[in-house]
Amino acid sequence: MARMTFLSCLLFALVTSACGAAKKEVAAQPPPPRPPAVYTVGRTLLGLPGQDRVELSAAPVTPLAGWLTPVAVPSPDARYVAYNAWRQLREDDPALSWEDQGIAAGDPLARPSIRLHDLETGSDRTYVDGGFSLAWRGDGAIAYFKGAEREYRAGVRYVGDVFVRDSVDGQARRWTPRADRYVVAGWAGPTLLVYRVRAGEALDVLALDGPGKRRTLASNAGLVAISPDGTSALVEHGPETGPPQVVLLAVSNGAKLASLDLTTVDPSVGVVGYSGDWQGDIVAAPSASGIVLLRVAGRRIELARTMRAAAGQGVAEPRFVGASSVTGWTSTSSGGAFVDCDRVTGRCARAVPLPTARGAEGFPAWRRPAYNPSRPQEGEQ
Amino acid sequence: MRIALLVALVLSTAAPASAANGWWTFNRNTNLNSTLTWKWTYPPSPADYSRSWRAGSGTTMDECEIGRGWLPSGWYAQKGHWDHYDGSKIRGRVWWVQDKTCRDGSTRRTELFIHSEETASNGQSCTSTYDDPFCWERESDYYSNGCIKLARPSPVASFPNDLGSAHATYHDYGGKAPHGAYATADANELYVYS
Repeated sequence: MARMTFLSCLLFALVTSACGAAKKEVAAQPPPPRPPAVYTVGRTLLGLPGQDRVELSAAPVTPLAGWLTPVAVPSPDARYVAYNAWRQLREDDPALSWEDQGIAAGDPLARPSIRLHDLETGSDRTYVDGGFSLAWRGDGAIAYFKGAEREYRAGVRYVGDVFVRDSVDGQARRWTPRADRYVVAGWAGPTLLVYRVRAGEALDVLALDGPGKRRTLASNAGLVAISPDGTSALVEHGPETGPPQVVLLAVSNGAKLASLDLTTVDPSVGVVGYSGDWQGDIVAAPSASGIVLLRVAGRRIELARTMRAAAGQGVAEPRFVGASSVTGWTSTSSGGAFVDCDRVTGRCARAVPLPTARGAEGFPAWRRPAYNPSRPQEGEQ
Repeated sequence: MRIALLVALVLSTAAPASAANGWWTFNRNTNLNSTLTWKWTYPPSPADYSRSWRAGSGTTMDECEIGRGWLPSGWYAQKGHWDHYDGSKIRGRVWWVQDKTCRDGSTRRTELFIHSEETASNGQSCTSTYDDPFCWERESDYYSNGCIKLARPSPVASFPNDLGSAHATYHDYGGKAPHGAYATADANELYVYS
């Protein structure tokens, strides 16, 4: 592969140096669309430094969390990748009702789990049986949700608790005071941010400061991103509770630091979605028309630019890739594609790495970013 | 007018409600303005009857977006019906439907209901300056986190009593009489068009 790349570069250099007029045109071409820094395609994990590709034992998926949480999270020391897996216990055709499939209340349908892949030894084991969603703190502490029961059952809320271990093999301590439906989102310094999913899929962002120390940071809200220093969180409120807005909150006490009413900016923004990224003073977030960049400076939030994806194409989990790109993903009939947007031009194009990849365990070949939304990270404090 | 009279005549001469077999359909158009319909038949007659109401669902049209997208397409079993449901977010007259895998083949939408904004005693609690969760104040109340929502009147706005009408029609024309969670399979299903 390296030899082919070298030959391609050599040929490219020869052609461009031989044709002066063509040289300018070639140089003006935008770079090809790229995937995120680290990503999964089906069971394959790509982009890790020093690793060509890693084959996982199961396909990373998050059926009970969607993209509220990453499918896979590299550890801060780069030793592990923890990822979410799902073992279906019986078929559940989405076109048919449970009654028409003979599924009764209480029947076990699937078992979620968190798996741990050791990049040094290659071992891949079940880490949490009957749980999903995790967050890795900079010092190696790991938080995760574990169900009260291992199986996800028809007509039964999948409730459980959030546990924290100081290290991968440390003792698990329960941080939530009572069982509920939680999804772990990320660490903001020493505080763990999790979702509570209420009736009607109403989302609350909760702050867990330690065992039994739970407070509501934002009701009816989604977490857009955690600031690089981990002290504040940008949350979004949709139009179901008032004018859609983004709000900057101090993690330590929930104080409102700034807000932006989205009805006062470019209408193409519409609403802002959860699970974005924060680099320097710029936040990337999903929006109605694609991706929006917001500048958060001190106690002020302003629209920096909009980036439009193809019409009707929702973009999820946008991540900064270097200084020039923001890359999210969108679902397709074959499992998904990355959408790479240029921060300067605002143009977006699709990237489909491993286009012939096949799905695994009944799932399409999902293309999703693998990342750690927790802050601060090394070099950011 | 003549059609309305004919429909009224058909309804008034229809067989007893106990013989009816009913089900919901939901036709997704926009987040704020879609259509919920109750359909029923009198088996073995194939003729079907229906009543429809404006309804909202979600804040985006991505059926896979948890807490944001509208209800995924497909058939749903009904898991229960309450007149005085008393949840933290949803109260009053509600129908609870099964979890559903969305079109991406992976993501499960959960905690799904047909409901309005009212108190557990079917009243209105309108106190705040903008949006009370148990008061139907304005057009944007049709938005939801994913559920189907019907309007109802309140002291601060004169929306039609669609929740009341849907509830009465459900019980009059084939809806299950018992209230609470259904332990057994229920024939009153919901179909969401794609």
